[in-house]
Amino acid sequence: MTATMDRPSAPSTGSGYLTVASRARDWAATSPDLVAMRDKDFGIWQERTWGRLWDEVLTAAHALLDIGVSVGDVVSIHSEDRPEWIVLDLATVAIRGITTGLYPTNPMAEVIYLVNDSGAAVHFAEDQEQIDKVLEAEPGSFPLIKKLLYVEPRGVRNYDDDRLEFWDDFMERGRAHRAANEGAVEALMAQAEAEDVMTLVYTSGTTGPPKGAMLTNANAEFAITKIVRAPNRTADGKAPGTHDQVLTYLPLCHVAERIFSTWTMVGTGCVLNFAESIETVQVNLREVQPTLFFAVPRIWEKIHATVLIKMSDATWFKKIIGAGAMRLATFIGRERVNNGGNHTFKSRIAYAIGDPLVFRALKERIGMRRCRWAGSGAAAIAPEVLEFFMGLGIPVYELYGMTENAAVATLNFHGRVKLGTVGEPYPEIGLRLDEETGEIQTKHGGVFKGYWKKPEATAETFTDDGWLKTGDVGEWVDGTHLKIIDRIKHIIITSGGKNISPSEIENSLKASPFVKEAMVIGDGRKYLCALIGIEFDTVGNWALRREITYTTYRDLSEKPEVLELIQGIVNKTNEKFSRVEGIKKFRMIPKELDHEDGELTATQKIKRSAMVDMFSDLVEEMY
Amino acid sequence: MRGRPNFFASYEAEQGLLPTTTKKIFAVLVLIAAISIPFEVFPILDKFAEPAWLVLFNRSLIFLIAALGLNILTGLAGQVSLGHAFFMGLGAYTAVVLGGSAEGLWGLGLPIWIWLPMAGVVPALVGILVAPTAVRVRGLYLAIVTLGLVFIGEHIFRNANSIAGAPEVGREWPRLTFRIWKEENPLIDFSRDGQWFGVSLSGEAKTFFFLLVVALVFVVLAKNLSRTRIGRAFAAIRDRDVAAEVMGVGEFRAKTQAFAISSFYAGISGALFGVVVGRLIPETWNLFLSVQFVAIVLIGGAGTVAGSVMGSFFVVMMPRMVENVTRFLSEQAVGDGPVSAIADVVISVNGDFGIVSLEAQGPGLSIFQLNQVIYGLLIAVFLISEPLGLFGVWIRIRNYWKSWPFTY
Repeated sequence: MTATMDRPSAPSTGSGYLTVASRARDWAATSPDLVAMRDKDFGIWQERTWGRLWDEVLTAAHALLDIGVSVGDVVSIHSEDRPEWIVLDLATVAIRGITTGLYPTNPMAEVIYLVNDSGAAVHFAEDQEQIDKVLEAEPGSFPLIKKLLYVEPRGVRNYDDDRLEFWDDFMERGRAHRAANEGAVEALMAQAEAEDVMTLVYTSGTTGPPKGAMLTNANAEFAITKIVRAPNRTADGKAPGTHDQVLTYLPLCHVAERIFSTWTMVGTGCVLNFAESIETVQVNLREVQPTLFFAVPRIWEKIHATVLIKMSDATWFKKIIGAGAMRLATFIGRERVNNGGNHTFKSRIAYAIGDPLVFRALKERIGMRRCRWAGSGAAAIAPEVLEFFMGLGIPVYELYGMTENAAVATLNFHGRVKLGTVGEPYPEIGLRLDEETGEIQTKHGGVFKGYWKKPEATAETFTDDGWLKTGDVGEWVDGTHLKIIDRIKHIIITSGGKNISPSEIENSLKASPFVKEAMVIGDGRKYLCALIGIEFDTVGNWALRREITYTTYRDLSEKPEVLELIQGIVNKTNEKFSRVEGIKKFRMIPKELDHEDGELTATQKIKRSAMVDMFSDLVEEMY
Repeated sequence: MRGRPNFFASYEAEQGLLPTTTKKIFAVLVLIAAISIPFEVFPILDKFAEPAWLVLFNRSLIFLIAALGLNILTGLAGQVSLGHAFFMGLGAYTAVVLGGSAEGLWGLGLPIWIWLPMAGVVPALVGILVAPTAVRVRGLYLAIVTLGLVFIGEHIFRNANSIAGAPEVGREWPRLTFRIWKEENPLIDFSRDGQWFGVSLSGEAKTFFFLLVVALVFVVLAKNLSRTRIGRAFAAIRDRDVAAEVMGVGEFRAKTQAFAISSFYAGISGALFGVVVGRLIPETWNLFLSVQFVAIVLIGGAGTVAGSVMGSFFVVMMPRMVENVTRFLSEQAVGDGPVSAIADVVISVNGDFGIVSLEAQGPGLSIFQLNQVIYGLLIAVFLISEPLGLFGVWIRIRNYWKSWPFTY
């Protein structure tokens, strides 16, 4: 790949660098009555216009100034997605502070580490649950926190701690400060610089403790130009705009959700709709019918499994029609896959039959009826799942990026889709493969400034000539598309000396609706084995229809019938791979993996070393 | 937002009478179809333009108004009532006393804009008097108390000859006309054939239009009621009166309102019934009429306006259908048609065995009795297998397609 690598010329407006905050200000100035975001309250989607949003951001920014937050100070946010998250985020950027987000599932020990590592002066803890993680810690665990903000007063009102401040009081403080110091925030915005760090995004930490990646205003601007405004992103070629609807439901502290929610909103003026909670995503999807939608493979797999299960549960007539439609979808999917994602004449005819009969209603049910661009990223997705959605006429494009390069790396552009690859590099960015290791390396305006307070770790992630080492091994397909093999650290070298990429095998296993987790083991061993966790819902449903009674997750996992079912899936996977890559034995994971128990990262990725330790008896049993 | 039927950004949108575009279009289409009938515009629909059908439609619309009233009381507020016929009678006699002008009987000869509203108000006032009993007794006991009303009413109507006319003879109601005061020639005459805007229409057609407008007003009011504070109070009382009171819904107040509103509907319906039929005997307002409305509400679907509409038309049209079917079968019974064997068993011809006989003194059931039997059967069948009535059947069909291509 050719490498052209200059940072974008600062899109300066004469009043400081164009930050996400000043973008929001500009929307409020040009179209104050347009809806910027909605969140569901008492069963109704309450709307917030740009005018009101910016007013709240300004007030919050003044409140931060009043508390004493100054340039370069960190504000940490520990909350589910909600409007206040974004208000506080934009307010912090406006006064040249740094935002960092915590996952709502982060347990106390991680909260202590993250808040202290970032040195946050103001900590926003949504509700009693998150506040308890601060107040119930050993006294003195959080020496740096000056203010502890909360927005859900239930259960918090009678806590006695000077640092606590209710959101409404915080805003009241902001209004007072704003009245006394009109223009203070605007003055700081005018001083904003491209190289100001605007957020710390902590890596998930599959190995070692999480590291805070510093992203600057220039990084954000680069991501908005490259990803959000990518040419040929959508089928109709229309750039995202004010009519687009986005459902915000993944944790906002993750770089992907930040790009596809906040940065897309300020970059294009689209509307953010906050899902009530992760449990209601399916319902909220149906209500909002987003036009732009980003999901991790886990969500796509879940939707795929839901469709299959519901179809098999349908009454006889619907079942027959459904089965026919699925065959049609498979055909369309395959045709399109072989044609770069475009329709062929035959698939167009098949689609014309299937769409009015089933696909349209089906898409409405899963909330994808109005979807014109959907993305999958953050982990590898099974090609079968993508093919399925393509067959239904839902344009899902796989993309690739990481926190350290502001997620700017590759995307499957419309009409040039290659299944099994993560697409082509964005135009005019530097992306290369290391000649020896095959590691993907990038160099462009989105590459981060470094890890927060960790110069050695920062130095390690860059090559001598200044390229970012992603830690992923890839290869070119047809010279244009990039295929990810695996994380370098995950590559298994068997005792026979074979290099094996476990992710591919794991994804093939996870393509089955019955498998939720799969982890292939075999580093330094004679052969490969796997730990497999079932999808409780689907396997439970499967067992129900076969009248297999069960009590708990563990009980169901260990039923001989279920073992047989999983063996069948393993056998099917083995057929697809060479003999050395075959899984000789497997064991069932006896519990549902959980972030709080330390088996998963906050982004639901398996912590391999922790897993091997935790289930060492199972692993040793297989060898 | 367009094209997102489950998305609501305000309570107004969520609680709209016709929340989706499809429903709006459907409502307009039904209205156009109904209006077009007397004009014989569309094929198939023009078959109903003949007076025999219009008379049935008119009766359905009148019954609909009363059914809406009982539906508010029973379906929405959960108070069983068998006294609906009494309130209808009260409305009818209020109308005839105010609007009628027969010799030897009470009648002030006032115009419709006085007697029609009063026909609702007087029963409503009586309903308010009855309501306190509903606070004291519930369920079956309330049914018995209201049943008592029907018998008291029948007794009074039969004996108040200067109001209701002699027993078995009855009296005549004023014709359906609109006058400013007591002038000779009415401004609009709904009961006689004549020309409207250059189109000649039968009296039945004109009556049909008048009733359509009145029924529509009451349908909208009833539908709107369920989304008001009062309507929600009714539903709370229905679900559990004690719990409702704990939540701050006044039981006495709500039940009184329910009886008043329900009786108002019944009175209006009774008055229109008298006026459209022309002559009624005091025995009209008996238990059987009450049961018919219970049947309408149950068959249609308790608690829903659409159910009351379906139920009214179904119950009014059914006797006509039964009649047509029996007549068809009786023709088959004497012939050699493919269904003659069945027809022969069902219909008694010339005194042989049969369930139904068309002759006055035949051995089987008369058509009237057959209708009664079918009512009973239908109520039983709907209560057992489809408690939500015809509306429930519709809901089932709708859900089948709504959940397409899944089942849930």
